[in-house]
Amino acid sequence: MLVLMFFIYSCEEEGDKENPVIDIGIENAFPQNCDTLYFGEAFTFKVLFTDNVELGSYNIDIHNNFDHHSHSTEVTECSLDPVKEPENPFRFIQDFSIADGLREYETNLSINIPDGNSEGLFDEGDYHFFVNLVDKEGWTSQVGLSIKILRR
Amino acid sequence: MKKVNILLFFMVCLHFAIFSQEKFTLSGKITDENSHGLEGATVVVLPSGEGAIANTKGQYLLSAFVKGLYTVKVTFVGYKTLIDTISISDNYIFNAQLQPATLSLQEVVVSDHYAETRQKEMPLNVEVVNDDFLKQNRGGSLMKSLERLPGISTIDIGSGQSKPVIRGLGFNRVVVVENGIKHEGQQWGADHGLEIDQYAVEKLEIVKGPASLLYGSDAVGGVIDIKQNGIPAENTVSGVVDLNGKTNNNLLGTSISVAARKKSFFAGMRATFLDYADYKVPTESVDIYSYKAALYKNHLRNTAGNEQNLHLFFGVIQKYFQSKFFVSRIFSKSGLFANAHGLEPRNVDTGLHDKSSRDIQFPSQQVNHIKVINKSEWFWDKFSIEAELGFQRNFRQEWSQYVSHGYMPPVFPDSLNFDPELERQFEKYIYSGNLRGALQVNSKLSLSAGISSEFQDNRIGGRGFIIPAFKQYNSGSYALAKHLFSEESILQFGLRFDFGKINSKSYYDWFPSSNGDSGEATEYLKRSDDLSRTFTNLSWSLGYNYSPENWLFKINFGKSFRMPIAKELESNGVNYHRFSYEVGDSKLLPEVSYQFDAGLEYHATKLAVGATPFVNYFSNYIYLNPTDRFDRLYGAGNQIFEYTQSKVFRFGGEIHAHYQLVKSLQFGFIGEYVYSEQLSGSKKGFTLPFSPPASAIANLKYQKARWGFAKDVYISLDYRLTASQNKIVPPEKSTNGFQVVNLSAGAKFKLNSQELILTAQVQNLFNTKYFNHTSYYRLINVPEPGRNFILNISVPFTGKI
Repeated sequence: MLVLMFFIYSCEEEGDKENPVIDIGIENAFPQNCDTLYFGEAFTFKVLFTDNVELGSYNIDIHNNFDHHSHSTEVTECSLDPVKEPENPFRFIQDFSIADGLREYETNLSINIPDGNSEGLFDEGDYHFFVNLVDKEGWTSQVGLSIKILRR
Repeated sequence: MKKVNILLFFMVCLHFAIFSQEKFTLSGKITDENSHGLEGATVVVLPSGEGAIANTKGQYLLSAFVKGLYTVKVTFVGYKTLIDTISISDNYIFNAQLQPATLSLQEVVVSDHYAETRQKEMPLNVEVVNDDFLKQNRGGSLMKSLERLPGISTIDIGSGQSKPVIRGLGFNRVVVVENGIKHEGQQWGADHGLEIDQYAVEKLEIVKGPASLLYGSDAVGGVIDIKQNGIPAENTVSGVVDLNGKTNNNLLGTSISVAARKKSFFAGMRATFLDYADYKVPTESVDIYSYKAALYKNHLRNTAGNEQNLHLFFGVIQKYFQSKFFVSRIFSKSGLFANAHGLEPRNVDTGLHDKSSRDIQFPSQQVNHIKVINKSEWFWDKFSIEAELGFQRNFRQEWSQYVSHGYMPPVFPDSLNFDPELERQFEKYIYSGNLRGALQVNSKLSLSAGISSEFQDNRIGGRGFIIPAFKQYNSGSYALAKHLFSEESILQFGLRFDFGKINSKSYYDWFPSSNGDSGEATEYLKRSDDLSRTFTNLSWSLGYNYSPENWLFKINFGKSFRMPIAKELESNGVNYHRFSYEVGDSKLLPEVSYQFDAGLEYHATKLAVGATPFVNYFSNYIYLNPTDRFDRLYGAGNQIFEYTQSKVFRFGGEIHAHYQLVKSLQFGFIGEYVYSEQLSGSKKGFTLPFSPPASAIANLKYQKARWGFAKDVYISLDYRLTASQNKIVPPEKSTNGFQVVNLSAGAKFKLNSQELILTAQVQNLFNTKYFNHTSYYRLINVPEPGRNFILNISVPFTGKI
């Protein structure tokens, strides 16, 4: 009887236990896995964030995947360029807040990819586009996309 | 005149109280297999060494024993030697029936009442385990072998590394003691195992509940006290060769020990070698953050490992003095699941990794732990002193391929003085000393007091920063009074004062980060400050035991504490194992815990039932809180996890029962449950991380003393039922309940004149796919190992010298 009570008690539900959702399936969502971005141009980051209680904030990290270390979370395989040593790879890390009290938020964020820095032009090739979303409680979701950044 | 009389009376009383302690007798009858008295049988009592020879009726009498724990050894030519542990606190009757020895080699029968004695004496709930239990439940590591015990669970990584969890508390909230000295490794890390050789454990005690009083800071959750003895009987040489094999990870292992004793001097050694391949899981692929990693032949890629341990021990045993030295070196190397470094999905060169299941590629970890301990004891009539001195060095390295994260340079510069593939390195030097004294004031009252100190020097290396280098000093002193109202009724009270100091060194990144909009990386970030903190604490414990006839009642109320560790005070770096940026708080206060424990037990010939509930309150539990923010500069864009303190309420307990169904068949049941809730802070209402789910084991055990050629035969069936765990805290996942069946069997055989002890197990008999909520790999959906056949052969030997 005591055991049964334990089991019932431990099966009880309460509190927020749901991760937020990064939806890259909405219309015009960008970028998608295997998409190409271009140096010297801006693009609009467009995805839908949802949560059962309240959204927190998100972070975007773009870094090179010249060594094919990969943490894509997508099922589709993209064709990768041969492995190469980075010389002056492009890198982008930025966190963004989401207004308080939202359960749904569609991003409409313009990100500019410069052509180079003081050390010269950035390397073309395979990159990772990594999105990390957290809700108010601290639950997270990640999406990692394989993209290419090239020069037109 | 009257006054003088009263004064005299008091002086006499005082004299009796201090100088004439009550002495008890030990008597009994030694019989043969037909219950006839064995004239000439020798009864020796250790440690005093006093002995007697049985008379024509087999009776003996020994006198002048002070209260205490003794080992009785009964020997007679042509019969197996019998060894037992007894606790004398009154005149004691010890009868023994010896079994004839059919061999020329001496055999020893150990019938252990130690566990029972400890349960009766200790105000907290204890589990006592000997090497037989370990043999019968042998798992991939010491803690895995102990997991069957009520209230004990583990945090595992791979098949050979696990750390202890007592009633849901683990890491630095559980103290592991070996030969009297606190074991210090890198217990703060979820992926770090415990550097103990399970073959070298002779006896082990688990204290469930706050034991800061005797064991100091960190013992808030409980204690695992390991005794490694291995001292042979006088003028003998003895040893054992163990051979171990497992099918799931193709483990091959051996442990060989030999020890000899000539009069009061003894010396011995043990060597253990283990080598295992990748372990197999009942799944074709693992789902890492929606990224499916295919497994080759169900092998969890790159989880092979090996272990090489060496122990030396020597010393002297005399009637009033004992001194033992233990020297050991534990080395283990193991791979980590290659498809996920930590929790991050990784691209894997399957050609390289799947070529051999026994090789260890990146990522991998290796630990070398050296320990030197001296334990000395002096005995007088009413007074005894124990002293322990210890030196340890823990050297841990974690290796992985260099991958640039955040602002780390894309190509590792060759100007640095460490290997780019060395991810983290921890080196720790520990110097410890304990001194304890015990005084038997009279037959009712005993007092003990002690002081223990420890100094640590911690160094770090490698490319990843998680904790700074630091030096730490702890010292504590305690006094404990134990009053016996009667043999069955014991009251204990203790007080302890602790002082601790930690000094950590500042740390700067070895690579520049970009602090500004330009995107240029120019600033070498300071990760931690020069910090100096001191802590003091007063803890106490009050307990009462009552054990009439077949019953045992115990209650204990105590205050325990834990000083914040370097990780909690000074973390400031990205934990690439779990996408988190962990930030310490240098202002944290020592964690304080109040706990009420109770124990109730009834045992008769056929039936035993017991329950051990507890209620626990932390006024400021140190908790790593996942926030709703990210950090670009220091955290490389990862989620911020902050160390904070919150009020925590916990309760739970264990139940156990066994019933003798028929002569050789026993039914047993073990259940455990823990509830935790944070009462304050931003995770108010949430549980604590790594909360073990409710769990029960139903057991059927068939035992027979003799079955054809075989002796001490047993067959045991465990049905483990674990509830789902839906009480979780970010970033955990709810885990479904499961049912697993384990089978074990064993027996002793004679081959010519050589004894063989065979134990076999089938773990996860039905190859069930299930998840362990407290496994490190749970978050990336790695199921627990599949079916595993385990065979252990022990070949003991003894001889006279």
